[in-house]
Amino acid sequence: MTYEEFVDARLAPLLRYAVMLTGDPHQAQDLVQETMVRVQLNWRRVARADSPERYVRRMLTNQYVDWRRGSWVRRVLLRGEPDETVAVSTDHTQSAVDRDQIWSWLSRLPRRQRAVLVLRYYEDLPDAEIADVLGCAVGTVRSSISRALATLRAEYVEA
Amino acid sequence: MIEDDLRAAFARHEPLTPSTGPLRAAIDRLATRRRRRRQRWQAGGTALALLGVLGIGVPLLTSERAGPPPAAALAGESGRPAAAGALNVLLLGVDGFGEQPSYRLADSILLVHIPADRSRPYLISLPRDLEVSIPGRGIDKLNSAFFGGAGEPRPDLDAGYELTRRVVAELTGVRVDAGAVLTFAGLRRITEAVNGVEVCLPKEVRSWHTRRVFPAGCQRLDGAASVDLLRQRRYLPDGALDRDRNAQRYVAGLVRAAVAQDVLTNPVRLTALLFAAGKGLTVDDDGLPLTRLVGVLPELKTVEPVGLSLPVGPLVNSSSRLPLDPKRGPAFLAALREDRLAQWVAQHPEQVDPVR
Repeated sequence: MTYEEFVDARLAPLLRYAVMLTGDPHQAQDLVQETMVRVQLNWRRVARADSPERYVRRMLTNQYVDWRRGSWVRRVLLRGEPDETVAVSTDHTQSAVDRDQIWSWLSRLPRRQRAVLVLRYYEDLPDAEIADVLGCAVGTVRSSISRALATLRAEYVEA
Repeated sequence: MIEDDLRAAFARHEPLTPSTGPLRAAIDRLATRRRRRRQRWQAGGTALALLGVLGIGVPLLTSERAGPPPAAALAGESGRPAAAGALNVLLLGVDGFGEQPSYRLADSILLVHIPADRSRPYLISLPRDLEVSIPGRGIDKLNSAFFGGAGEPRPDLDAGYELTRRVVAELTGVRVDAGAVLTFAGLRRITEAVNGVEVCLPKEVRSWHTRRVFPAGCQRLDGAASVDLLRQRRYLPDGALDRDRNAQRYVAGLVRAAVAQDVLTNPVRLTALLFAAGKGLTVDDDGLPLTRLVGVLPELKTVEPVGLSLPVGPLVNSSSRLPLDPKRGPAFLAALREDRLAQWVAQHPEQVDPVR
């Protein structure tokens, strides 16, 4: 596979994945750009991997999770806390508001937990593959998922 | 349930995704720029290494028992040579194996001095155990400046070089015009690019790391053996100082190989060697444009250099740090700053120590 072929096939899905991770189109662009520049410069090594697609997803996820590396993060930190939802309603029939609440709650999760949720419920990956992406044990993936879901449920109850 | 809500939330936010066209163009633009920068640095690095190589050669002179210092040596004169005059190039050999070692120390520190009259290059070994003041680290050994600048666990060669350069400039009082950092991998590849290097040892050297024995006399070393030899310190009577001398002997051999194979005058061979070091070599050419630096080569009246060592005193108390020799050190550095090493060498011819 050439780099061009890879980009043709994978750039759009990667960008969507990055939007789900960061929750922000601009940050997603920065994240994908930084990752893909490195992919292009090291394409021979990437192409040697069993699955270049998985390899690049792992690069991008690590870039996102490890906030100390990578210049794009600085901008994220400057933005500080996510905006509070404007109209917080306790009326659960207001489904649109509920949905936006879930999106904003996601942004308060630790990055690693958010990544696990995106890989599980957006990319629909099995636990073993999520563990491979994050470089951790399958048990860690499961506990991260249940901890993240517990946090979200608690938010539900409070709201 | 919450899982379904999550799936729905992700799906609903898909339209947030921007189009890929501009992003793709931006990626290509940025990658091209970084690739170009990387290539420039790699090519520049090897040219610098060649220049450095020219600074080391057959007559080797150690100045540890040098004569009395000139009276004016300690005067407050800055004595910096004019920009068009003398040139000083800092070469650092750093340890660490693999693509990403977790830390690096600069164990071979060489300052190549090219006088304003372009008579011949001088090589000055700065001992890695030299006691110096390092910004942010206080009093420490010279080789730890590289470690302090590069950091861990992902050492940055440029930052390590930069801190070492500041310390060396402060210590010697000369401006460092350019410099390069050479890793074990770079050393190995440069050696292979000239089909091995002949090194002449006055005494047998046994490897602490591989148990290899380098017999006394001349022998041709391949890349791996060269790295092995230049790492040896423990079994040598004078430790790291003897290792510095072996580094000079190695480079003397490398110069002989380069000259014998017309590497320096044949553009094709030169280009091949330029790319041999690859990532094992990075370079600072901010201070002095590379073109000007390479242009200095033909100006030299002879490439046969003079080897010198910065005079050091006995160990400080129980520490393993070496102080600058309180008398000879300042005299030597004044001669360096005032670009009169030729005169200094003429006054101390008995110090010449042939390397083959």
